[in-house]
Amino acid sequence: MLRKKRCVAMLLAGGQGSRLGILTKNMAKPAVPYGGKYRIIDFPLSNCSNSGIDVVGVLTQYRPLELNAYIASGAPWDLDLVDGGVFVLPPYQTGASGEWYKGTANAIYQNLAFINQYNPDYVLILSGDHIYKMDYAAMVAHHEKHNADATIAVRQVPWEEASRFGIMNTDGDDNIIEFEEKPKNPKSNNASMGVYVFTWEKLRKYLTEDEADPKSSNDFGKNIIPKMLADNQRMVAYSFNGYWKDVGTIESLWEANMDLLAEVPEIDLHDKKFRIYARNLGLQPQYIAATAEVDNCLITEGVEVRGDVKHSVLSSACLVEEGAHVSDSVIMPGAVVKTGAVVKRAIVAENAVISENACVGEDTGLIAVVGPGATVPAQGVVKAGEQFAEG
Amino acid sequence: MKNIMGIIYTGERDDQLRELTANRAVAAVPIAGRYRLIDFPLSAMVNSGIRNVGVIAQKNYNSLMDHLGSGREWDLHGKRSGLVFLPPFLTKENVGVYSGFLDALHSNLHYLRRSKERYVVITDTHMLFNARFDDMVAAHEASGADITLMYTRDPGVRRNGLGRYLNVEAGGKVTGMEIDPTIPRLPCTYLETLCVRRELLISLVDQSVSRGEYHLTRGLLMSAIYDGSLNIRGYENPGRAWQLDSVQSYFDCSMDLLNSEVRNGLFPADRPVLTKLRDEMPTRYIHGAKVKNSLIADGCIIEGTVENSILFRGVRVGKGAKVQNSIVMQDGIIEANAEIQHCILDKQTTIQKRTRLIGPRTYPIVLAKDLTI
Repeated sequence: MLRKKRCVAMLLAGGQGSRLGILTKNMAKPAVPYGGKYRIIDFPLSNCSNSGIDVVGVLTQYRPLELNAYIASGAPWDLDLVDGGVFVLPPYQTGASGEWYKGTANAIYQNLAFINQYNPDYVLILSGDHIYKMDYAAMVAHHEKHNADATIAVRQVPWEEASRFGIMNTDGDDNIIEFEEKPKNPKSNNASMGVYVFTWEKLRKYLTEDEADPKSSNDFGKNIIPKMLADNQRMVAYSFNGYWKDVGTIESLWEANMDLLAEVPEIDLHDKKFRIYARNLGLQPQYIAATAEVDNCLITEGVEVRGDVKHSVLSSACLVEEGAHVSDSVIMPGAVVKTGAVVKRAIVAENAVISENACVGEDTGLIAVVGPGATVPAQGVVKAGEQFAEG
Repeated sequence: MKNIMGIIYTGERDDQLRELTANRAVAAVPIAGRYRLIDFPLSAMVNSGIRNVGVIAQKNYNSLMDHLGSGREWDLHGKRSGLVFLPPFLTKENVGVYSGFLDALHSNLHYLRRSKERYVVITDTHMLFNARFDDMVAAHEASGADITLMYTRDPGVRRNGLGRYLNVEAGGKVTGMEIDPTIPRLPCTYLETLCVRRELLISLVDQSVSRGEYHLTRGLLMSAIYDGSLNIRGYENPGRAWQLDSVQSYFDCSMDLLNSEVRNGLFPADRPVLTKLRDEMPTRYIHGAKVKNSLIADGCIIEGTVENSILFRGVRVGKGAKVQNSIVMQDGIIEANAEIQHCILDKQTTIQKRTRLIGPRTYPIVLAKDLTI
């Protein structure tokens, strides 16, 4: 019997993130690099660590290798503990049967035994799709104070975008009275962030019932939340006002990186009291050569800049050669931009090579993408919106 | 699993680095933007397959302990072996200050006896280089030597009188040694690194100390080289080496590291240098920043000009500020329109607005930790 925990976190990390195109061809979305030295999953994991939540189950399914290797013992997030820690939970076989995770709710259902070990009061459900810093402990306290059965983190989004989200309609007192998934005519702009706190006993009951219903698609947004609302369970909204960015598409991943280059970025990654941790690669400091021009950039360890870089994010161990021009772009770990190459409004994925005098991206239009490990040949052209995966 | 253990001696002379070693051992002196000197021998040992490393501390070892912690960053936090911190302690014979390295080893004989590895690599920390200790031990084993000394023929290494020099014959036999000569006559510079069979080391330490000999190099090694009582051979470490015996040599070494070829020799891709982590965010180069020929760690925010300099983690360079030919250690702040040249700023120093601090090229200004100018 393990020691009882007040709250256990379950992080849904099994999705492919197909809207990220070739970036997630070989890795799950939460493993996608962000902000020079991070991966998306560093944010929910660091949030847990900073919130004092020390049992985190990570539910993996799609291409888990990178993610498993990245999380490993959990030491970078202080989650390698005797009493708790981070646990990667893939789908598994039971006797003759066994199945993939059918939906978000089913993924948690298949791991009831994992959660039961800790006999928690609350379970925090997270996803690996967003860039944000959030104190989950405050949300759990809110849940407890309101004596809620479920608390859903919400964030006000611009009205014109509200119809893209799950919208929570509340009374004057944070009580959720209605939930609408992607409504045509939204009644409020409180969008669900996909961060939930449940009272464990209640959630266990609903998950079990949901599993028994053959018509259910076993999804939190589609099934569990509407069912609990219909049953008049106590559902409370928790407003979050900080920076929160969905990085589910090429454009939004690019934008979220560019957000770090604002004069005062909305998300403060310098904050010593709430650090975002990442696995460290043990690289030497960055070197900016005498031939380099570096203007409004975010650059990390192991990078060598000999060319001209403007308004861009350069990730671990990438190289920009003399005479290369990079602007408004995200260069992911280990990528190389060779002499004479021009990269504009683009995402260059891990270990990609932009050969001499190649041209990636355009001044306007959609973001160009060069896939992981791809080599754009010398003089090659990758147009705006194109995803280049060869080489 | 290699059959080698390592010992790093951090009690060497530390007065020549002035303010930089006022409150820390030489081993803990920050270097190259994000490292401490001890990271180099320690990482080289780990990269050579050594899994049992004893660090002999002498004085001012507080920051050293803080840096090394459990040894996790070097994968030295294992159950069977790992990092063993060996601070001085009072006994009937010992008052806590070692009379020499042999004395230090004598105080830690229990650790040497308890260890199981066949060979010991011993090094100290005021020389900077990246070594392949496994290759050295292989050469030691093949040659049948009692003791193998690591040396360099790097023409760039400083030979200004303070240092130990060797004569190594073509066959590898060491036939001469001189210590701190005004003008070195012997061609090879000793890297204060040796390898020896553990059992032999234990008996040599015991014999020497019982005869009142406390010094390894100028005592034991010197007499053995000239009386031929031990078979002492040399092993040449290829690559660059730096002797950090003064503020000037520390400064020159730092400037050498701005050369990518030199730096990549010290940081081979297959043998990374590991250090304590700070989880800083990447460095921000704000619009208007001008950075040229500089080595910069994470967590900095740069709005001004930085040329031919090294910035450690978390340094701020304000608008209009100029940092030239300087080294700014962790969390240093150069406020707006301030200017520094040929300066070494220890950790957490602040240069206030419009202050100018211009040192001469041949005698860099050193600001002690926590100062505000």
